[in-house]
Amino acid sequence: MLTIDHLTKHYKGSNKGVTDICLEIEAGDIYAFIGHNGAGKTTTIKCVAGIHDFDSGKILIDGSSIRENPLLCKSRFAYIPDNPDLYEYLTGIQYLNFIADVFNVPARIREELIGRYGNEFEITSSLGDLISTYSHGMKQKLAIISALIHQPKLLILDEPFVGLDPKASVILKNIMREICDGGGAIFFSTHVLDVAERLCNKVAIIKDGSLIASGSMEEILKQGESLESIFMEVVKNA
Amino acid sequence: MLKQIKLLTKLELCNIYNLNVLRFSKNSRRKKKDLSVMMLWLFLIVMLIFYVSNLSYGLLRLELGSLIPAYLITVASLLIFFFGIFKAGNTIFRKNGYDILCSLPINRTAIVVGRFLRLYVENLVIAFLIVMPGLFVYAWFLKPGAAFYILGALSILILPLVPITASILIGAVIMGISSRMKHKSLTAAALSVLFVLLIMYGSSRLSIMEETITPEMLRELSSVIMGTLEKVYPPAVWLGRAVIAGSFMPCFICAGAFLAVFAAAAAIVSIFFHSISQSLCTTSARHNYELKTLKKSSVLSSLCKREFRRYFSSSIYVTNTIIGPILGCILSGALLFTGTDVITKSLPIPLDICAFAPFVFSGIFCMMTTTATSISMEGKNWWILKSLPLSPKSVLNAKILMNLLLMLPFYLISEVLLIPALKPETFFDGFFLCLIPAVIILFSCVYGIAVNLHFPVLNWENEITIVKQSISAILGGMGGVFLSAVCAVIIFLISQEYYALFKALICIFILGATALLHKRITAPDAWRRYEL
Repeated sequence: MLTIDHLTKHYKGSNKGVTDICLEIEAGDIYAFIGHNGAGKTTTIKCVAGIHDFDSGKILIDGSSIRENPLLCKSRFAYIPDNPDLYEYLTGIQYLNFIADVFNVPARIREELIGRYGNEFEITSSLGDLISTYSHGMKQKLAIISALIHQPKLLILDEPFVGLDPKASVILKNIMREICDGGGAIFFSTHVLDVAERLCNKVAIIKDGSLIASGSMEEILKQGESLESIFMEVVKNA
Repeated sequence: MLKQIKLLTKLELCNIYNLNVLRFSKNSRRKKKDLSVMMLWLFLIVMLIFYVSNLSYGLLRLELGSLIPAYLITVASLLIFFFGIFKAGNTIFRKNGYDILCSLPINRTAIVVGRFLRLYVENLVIAFLIVMPGLFVYAWFLKPGAAFYILGALSILILPLVPITASILIGAVIMGISSRMKHKSLTAAALSVLFVLLIMYGSSRLSIMEETITPEMLRELSSVIMGTLEKVYPPAVWLGRAVIAGSFMPCFICAGAFLAVFAAAAAIVSIFFHSISQSLCTTSARHNYELKTLKKSSVLSSLCKREFRRYFSSSIYVTNTIIGPILGCILSGALLFTGTDVITKSLPIPLDICAFAPFVFSGIFCMMTTTATSISMEGKNWWILKSLPLSPKSVLNAKILMNLLLMLPFYLISEVLLIPALKPETFFDGFFLCLIPAVIILFSCVYGIAVNLHFPVLNWENEITIVKQSISAILGGMGGVFLSAVCAVIIFLISQEYYALFKALICIFILGATALLHKRITAPDAWRRYEL
């Protein structure tokens, strides 16, 4: 579903970036992407989401290149950044309606999905208010609903659990599983290793812009007691 | 308290004109871009210095050298005041960083004084660039004594104080009123526009009084101009006279008075600072929404609606871009009521007003387009458009369409008033009176986007830096005005019998250029090409 093939991206005039990243995310995968601050997780994710251009390599979504067919690729996934800077001058419902218009979601389906996710995340009553009045968690919930409104096959999430209350975190995890059970895939970065260990079937560890470990969670966990201890060990030795 | 003021002023000034970011940025591409923008600014500054020097030299040649300081001080003060009305309120009461500052053990007066001093330093640069070249020209040719240099420097240092104070107080009143309203930004924008129009009306009344100038007065041109300047801004004349005469006492009195006014304004604003800032930061949320039937719209319509909502959410964006079209309508109305005779008589050479009016009105309408800053205004939200399946063409078309729709009612009103006011003699005169502004407005909107694509700024902290201080705003605004001026000059240079032909050619040329520019900027790889 998502192929990252020898992705290299360096910021001009800086030694930051990612080098030769290769990952394969298949249908049904919940793929965790972990690494310390500044390791290159967000850079990789932004390249995948078509926000950053990259120096070399390929990013394919369902076989289509994000570089050559950006619109086709973008219509197949949804992306949520680590800091949901949404349009503060719109109300929640205006924002959702805007996203639904962009993805050409029929009125009936958008009503149904906004109703469902709005109630699940307990945000429906606030949808008529300006986003500028929302807390960080509410903005995150709204960003999640906007990502789900066009029923994407692939979800690309950067630190999706930051700012969410415990109940919303559980709901999001359930939705993630639901998408994967339906043949979709999730690629997300996180610092919460417990969540990654329990939720994901695959994991990749990045350090200083290079991938130092990747594979199925089962295989990775064979190397130590927990994902946390393995992560510390791998990062130390790399 | 003094230590706090020093610290906060340092904080306010540390990134003035984006210098701190430029200093510490490790991104060489960004640095190059910032440096090229700085070079452009430098070019504009050199042009300004050249213009002021020439103007001063012209006054010297007319033996009106004694007017230079007073004249330039008046011009600088008026510019500081007019620009200040739009941005002073937003600078003093800006929401950004308010919560953090409030949580720190800092006296609110120190916050206010820090922000006052930021405005002072920003405007001191304007004062320096306008007054200094004139004083230099004066000193070069007339070789005055040492007192001239000392007092000239002092006058530059103190001249921003009063206009800043006036604009801050107006800004505070606007912010104070709008903070109590539901639609804060819209109220602030409406009040700002109203204040500017009232001031323009007042200044036009001043110039009307000058119609009583007699031939005897013309012989005493210097005193006539001094008299006018004194009506517009008396302190400038007092200061100017003191600089020329080398009198220290009047200058010191002015300095003392200016400082007292500035300090008093800081004290007054600090009393209301907390309550106004709090009201501006407070947003009302009802939490009573019930899901209703949702309507599906086309992508373009949805994007365009979003553009309008973005536009009306920012008072500074609205005030900066709506003044031109409003002014166009007011002038058309004024022309209808006064008739064209008043203008014909005041012109030094006989001109066919109907032939030139479309260019004048185009220039007024295009003084500042929304498109020139609309990409930069996306700021931290730019990721949304980048991650959605939207082509550059649809995003940019929506921005252009929004600008055109915004101007449409003003354009129509203006035309409805202009046609009976100018009474075009032939069909073609009337036709071009309508067509030329429409074509130049269309070009300006597309040109604005093109400029903003070349000079986008997405990591801003305050909208003012984009709307009023970005190179994109300056160049974007100049495009339509410059084009209108060039076209007017072409028409001026040709014989009247070819007016219709040349106007048709101008329209065809501008439409062709617009189409080419539009095609180029909306190419599928636009984001990559412009590194967005």
